[in-house]
Amino acid sequence: MSTGPKGGGGPLVAWSAIMVALGVMLAIWTTGSTTALLFLLGPALLIPLAAFSRLRPAPGGPRLLARVSVPVVVIAIGAALAAIGVTGGLWLVLVGAEVGAFGLVWLVVEITGERRRAGR
Amino acid sequence: MTWLAATDHKKTAAKVGVASIFFFLLSGLLALTMRAELAQPGLQFVSDHTYDELFTMHGSGMIYLFLTPAALGLGLYLVPLQVGAAEIAAPRLALFGFWLYLLGGLTMYSGFLTNNGAGDATWTATIPLSNSSGTPGVGMDLWVIGVALAVLGSLLIAITILLTIMRLRAPGMTMLRLPVFTWTMLATTFMVVASFPVLVVAMGLLIAERHIGGVFTGSTGSVAYQHLFWFYGHPVVYVMFFPFVGAVGEAVATFSRKRFFGYRALVVSLLFFTALSMAVWGHHMFITGAVKNQYYSLTSTLLAVPAGIEYLDLIGTMIGGALVFRAPMLFALGFIAQFLIGGLTGIIVASPPLDYHVNGSYFIVAHFHYTLFAGSLFGLLAGVHYWFPKATGAMLRERLAKASFWVLALGANVTFFPMFFLGYDGMPRRVADYEPRLGDLNLLSSIGAGVIAIGVVMVLVNLVASLRRKEPAGDDPWGAQTLEWWTTSPPPRDNFEAPLPAINSPAPLLDLREREEEARERRVEVPV
Amino acid sequence: MSGSTRSDFASVWSLYLWIGIGVAVLVLCAVLFAVVRYRDRPGRAPSRRAERTAVEVAATVLILAIVALLVFRTFHTEAREDDSSAAGAVRIDVDAFQWGWKFTYPGQGVTVIGNSVREPNFAVPAGRRVSFALTSSDVIHAMWIPGQRFKKDAIPGRTNHFDMEFEARGREPGLCSEFCGLRHSNMRFGVWVLSDASYERWLAAHR
Repeated sequence: MSTGPKGGGGPLVAWSAIMVALGVMLAIWTTGSTTALLFLLGPALLIPLAAFSRLRPAPGGPRLLARVSVPVVVIAIGAALAAIGVTGGLWLVLVGAEVGAFGLVWLVVEITGERRRAGR
Repeated sequence: MTWLAATDHKKTAAKVGVASIFFFLLSGLLALTMRAELAQPGLQFVSDHTYDELFTMHGSGMIYLFLTPAALGLGLYLVPLQVGAAEIAAPRLALFGFWLYLLGGLTMYSGFLTNNGAGDATWTATIPLSNSSGTPGVGMDLWVIGVALAVLGSLLIAITILLTIMRLRAPGMTMLRLPVFTWTMLATTFMVVASFPVLVVAMGLLIAERHIGGVFTGSTGSVAYQHLFWFYGHPVVYVMFFPFVGAVGEAVATFSRKRFFGYRALVVSLLFFTALSMAVWGHHMFITGAVKNQYYSLTSTLLAVPAGIEYLDLIGTMIGGALVFRAPMLFALGFIAQFLIGGLTGIIVASPPLDYHVNGSYFIVAHFHYTLFAGSLFGLLAGVHYWFPKATGAMLRERLAKASFWVLALGANVTFFPMFFLGYDGMPRRVADYEPRLGDLNLLSSIGAGVIAIGVVMVLVNLVASLRRKEPAGDDPWGAQTLEWWTTSPPPRDNFEAPLPAINSPAPLLDLREREEEARERRVEVPV
Repeated sequence: MSGSTRSDFASVWSLYLWIGIGVAVLVLCAVLFAVVRYRDRPGRAPSRRAERTAVEVAATVLILAIVALLVFRTFHTEAREDDSSAAGAVRIDVDAFQWGWKFTYPGQGVTVIGNSVREPNFAVPAGRRVSFALTSSDVIHAMWIPGQRFKKDAIPGRTNHFDMEFEARGREPGLCSEFCGLRHSNMRFGVWVLSDASYERWLAAHR
């Protein structure tokens, strides 16, 4: 019971092709300005994703899902504190990194525990 | 407190919705303060510096913290349901994205508590004004950091939506059978993935410029910043448009009792529209003299083609239908009429000779408020009134909803239409004061803002009152066409308990009804 | 190449405005028609038709034609407005700063400077081409003369060149239209559009 035959990548490739065309048009019009390179970001992300989805479609069937994930919130708080620390001072960056690291470890524990309970 | 960390996409989306409403009200209050100040010439209430904070935080709040997250939150709620999936792809990532967005928004607004106040270099933070000598103080730093966090959070949510559409569609749902709203969300995620990272990088570079310096030097530096910013800054306004035109499309089809017209043309136009929208950003830089105006003028004007096809499709859906004017349909029609004005004035400013006059003036303010407020927000309200019964199991008060529509429509037009004239007549943007001869139109605009406030209160009252005394909605109160209406209201934890109907088109429930109708007709042998 | 920015603007503006109004009226009438003619009535069965490729193609071609017309007209006017040839023109260097303006007439020994406390006014001769060289000393500003229907960014480290022709005599107000900090709303100036003789007298008086 898998998903659509091609893994849904068609529109991504089509869109990427239009982007490349628009970028080439700008590059020609501006005689080689580096700004046109910005157009490649989307295709650089979407084409590998389309390929990945085609080669490895989702297995289908019931998924292993958590109901609640507190460590995710902790990591987010740590990331925000560390970001604010850029202006607040190194101490805040370190506090944020500590909180984030704690959350990451907790998340790993949570996920491995889930998998173990599900018998994987 | 576990709901704060719940991973069910419906709950995460609800959190995004509540947070975005909170930031909408906060940023809206700032706008009301601005309109109070602008009601008469002279400075009555606030200082120049405070006013600079007001318009910066109003614009920033509305774009980074309200309309973009609301658009993505709508997708986060609906896309798994519309494609027949039990859950979003990567629910933890979506939850993480919500928290980054919320914390980013709080960080931005916390600037008001600092010595120099909140960020006050406009929502674009142009170099050199936004560097540490142009805009000193922690408040501006917090703005930059907050924007980066909020935009990163939005990006992560969009990624989960994209992955869901690609990998978790129910059997039979090919990409060309995705519902209209899901197609608009797919196209939206392309733009997000291709542009939001650039903004996060730009903010990172800006904070480095402010703390270390030497990043954006000289005129090439300030122009380079604008390229990086507007490469995101233009697509983001389409991120704040496409999900809502999708919601409008769903509502129009349902309330016309017809299949959406021109589905294939819509798919093609969405791909071109969203790609083209990534190629127009230089029109924000026409007056710098530092970009190839002709390229950007061409791409910007070409946007009229896919936009016109989408309008044709919406009207084609109504023609030949059996129209019912429930509240979502009113908001949808309001979107169609009002976004039109915003879009057409956008074509006007896509012409550099015309932009040379009206850029930086209230004409532009009118243009983008017609697209974003009178357009996208009305589209959002169409979606909210359409899907509220599904999400909560309760109907909204119909008469109050319709009354709030008329109040908001009146308020929107009275507030923003005069601004076209103000701009044309020489009133610049981002000013707390203006020439006395412009007082009458400003007063009219401020009165309109008061009317908008009343309309917003009416909508809020409707939301709260309808949750308090529930009128049960049932699975499908509207006779709709797509899979979210197949399940209960609200949906169970894993979205669908009963097996799904056959999926042979973007409108499986309509197909099912038509099949049932044909079966009934065949049993009646003798026509009456 | 002659023609003021004001007249360049006017002809393009009316083309876009009337096409815009025409499209708006057309679309709104179509919506109104649909809303009135296709209201739900007892016995009304909605059509099952969901595709009409011929209509889509026709609409695409029509819109493309309008876009081509608009773009062609725009490119034509823009080429003229962006062209800056200083031959025989009056030259003025403009320096924008927080929060005022400095106008220098190179080779004439005239400089006018002013700020939000005292607005500067500079003079130009009517009917003659004036070539501006615009820059900024600090942040990005923009020089807007609404009566001329034209503005240009003043970017530090960069000089923007543009030409204007002022037709009507009198005083044209000007202002900064790119947010530049605290006194952005007070960064105004004036342009005295004078006859040739008055202009020469003005220059002499300001040396």
